[in-house]
Amino acid sequence: MGRFIVTRLAWSAMIIVASSILVFLVLRVLPSDPVLARLGASTGVDPDVIARLRAEAGLDDSIITQYLSWVGGVLKGDLGSSYASQIPVAQIIAERLPVTLELTFLAMLAVVLVSVPLALAAVFRGRSTADKAIGFLTSLGISVPLFVVSLILILVFASTLGWLPSRGYVPFIEDPSENLKLMILPVASLAFVASPLLIRHMRESMSEAESEAYVRTAVGKGAVRARVLLQHILRTSLVPTLTMLGLIVGYTLAGTVVVEYVFGLPGIGSLALEAALKRDYAVLQSVVILIVFMFVATTFIVDIVNGLIDPRVRVGAQHG
Amino acid sequence: MGHNMARTSAAETGREATPARRVNIGMVVLAVTALTCLLGPFLWHFEATQIGAGLPFLGPGFEHPFGTDDLGRDQLARLMVGGRITVIVAAGSALLSILIGVTWGVLAAARRGWMDEVLMRTADAFMAIPQIVFALVFVAAFGSSILSLTIIIGVLLAPTTARIVRSVAMSELSSDYAVAARACGLGRTRVMATEILPNVLPTIMVQATINVAAAIILEATLSFIGLGIQPPDASWGTLLLQGYGKFYNSAWLVLVPTVWIVVTIWALTATSESLRSRARREAAA
Repeated sequence: MGRFIVTRLAWSAMIIVASSILVFLVLRVLPSDPVLARLGASTGVDPDVIARLRAEAGLDDSIITQYLSWVGGVLKGDLGSSYASQIPVAQIIAERLPVTLELTFLAMLAVVLVSVPLALAAVFRGRSTADKAIGFLTSLGISVPLFVVSLILILVFASTLGWLPSRGYVPFIEDPSENLKLMILPVASLAFVASPLLIRHMRESMSEAESEAYVRTAVGKGAVRARVLLQHILRTSLVPTLTMLGLIVGYTLAGTVVVEYVFGLPGIGSLALEAALKRDYAVLQSVVILIVFMFVATTFIVDIVNGLIDPRVRVGAQHG
Repeated sequence: MGHNMARTSAAETGREATPARRVNIGMVVLAVTALTCLLGPFLWHFEATQIGAGLPFLGPGFEHPFGTDDLGRDQLARLMVGGRITVIVAAGSALLSILIGVTWGVLAAARRGWMDEVLMRTADAFMAIPQIVFALVFVAAFGSSILSLTIIIGVLLAPTTARIVRSVAMSELSSDYAVAARACGLGRTRVMATEILPNVLPTIMVQATINVAAAIILEATLSFIGLGIQPPDASWGTLLLQGYGKFYNSAWLVLVPTVWIVVTIWALTATSESLRSRARREAAA
């Protein structure tokens, strides 16, 4: 187990380092200049001012020096300052992170609460109407892009029925009920897109388990269908389900870029988008690496949990 | 096991008629959409850029089937011209992703060893990061012209393609005919090109269709969040963004492009599924 954890940890660290280098290089190698972007279209700015701003932002150093000083700062918790507003990046992220974490948490909760019962219902009766209906809904859900779901939900529940607000954010501590009300549509959008993936995956892995000998043995010994399903089949599909759930956390984090923008939530997804639009590389690179980190950390945790549940996972990883 | 096999084959024969019919619907919808977007603008009597072709914010009617926008531009004309950009970006990036992905996957399968390891680990690392997040960085750096969007999306879709191509090529390589070709003295590259590749082609076709759908979604998403095609050009995503700002005036501006995008993606999914089941049947036969 120890060796398994170390290999997974090394792999995770490698991905984070590799993507940090990639992000940094892509943002540096190109001609678009963040200082000029900050000054905007105003012409006739004193070249000395531009030179001073460039030096302040550290843009005159070599790329390697810039990268190392950024990484060094990140390790110390200093992410530099925004090119646009001069506010420390760490402070901006700290203000915005809770929104995204709440959104992701609620979305995952919704995904699990919707998917597990539906997947069980689909498998319970085999090839029934319920199974077909769920199959149709999941393939529909997979065809619809996230932002389209958000738009449809706004059209129906906000602008036509007027039941729910379509934009805005209130911190949970200030007004819990208003906060949750504002979260309903964003969470529903994310869950609508992510649930089909989990349902489909669970359904496949459960029908696979169903044809295994031990399930037939259990049925042959007279176990009730519900018991076979919950005790034998659901348990075997736990590892693939958890793996998929880990991936879904990643998709959901990525989805916050879109959802936070559409619903006007001040999280790190919309922060990344604003930074990309403003060419504020100091903010963009740190937010992107943070998202990558959260994604990789989730995968890592899922791998370790899977290794704990199923010894074949950790042994297989060592030999593969 | 035997029980399961009996059931799937029974199910397969039972469904025989359905996939064949779905091929046609999916492909017909795709052909109609592509033709409408590519040729429609020449035939339709309104220009996409013609301001005041009708009153602003008209609902669907005889004169303007999909209504008009805030400047009175004909929405059908705008959707057809926008669809053209969408089709160009989606087809271009799918093609690019297939070119990169097939080379990448076949190389890994052919070389094995450290080369395979490096290529596949790189693919894994790429896939470990959500596409939209990478897209944000790339667009911020390379801009959002049609060309750069096509390249960015093509590159982002390549690793998944590489993985799938590699796994199919690997299993083909271990099959009898490939071993026989090697035994006849054909070189590894030759076997790959003349024996394996034709057999991997059905998989590549399925993946290409999936990539077109993924490219449409990615392009529309980027344009919708303001990082894609910029005005005065407008893809479906750009039109949605513009409609989104005005949908309290006219819900049609959001509704029509939404339905069009969803139908196109559904058609692509249906096509890829029927291609896949056809490939499976051919492999079984």
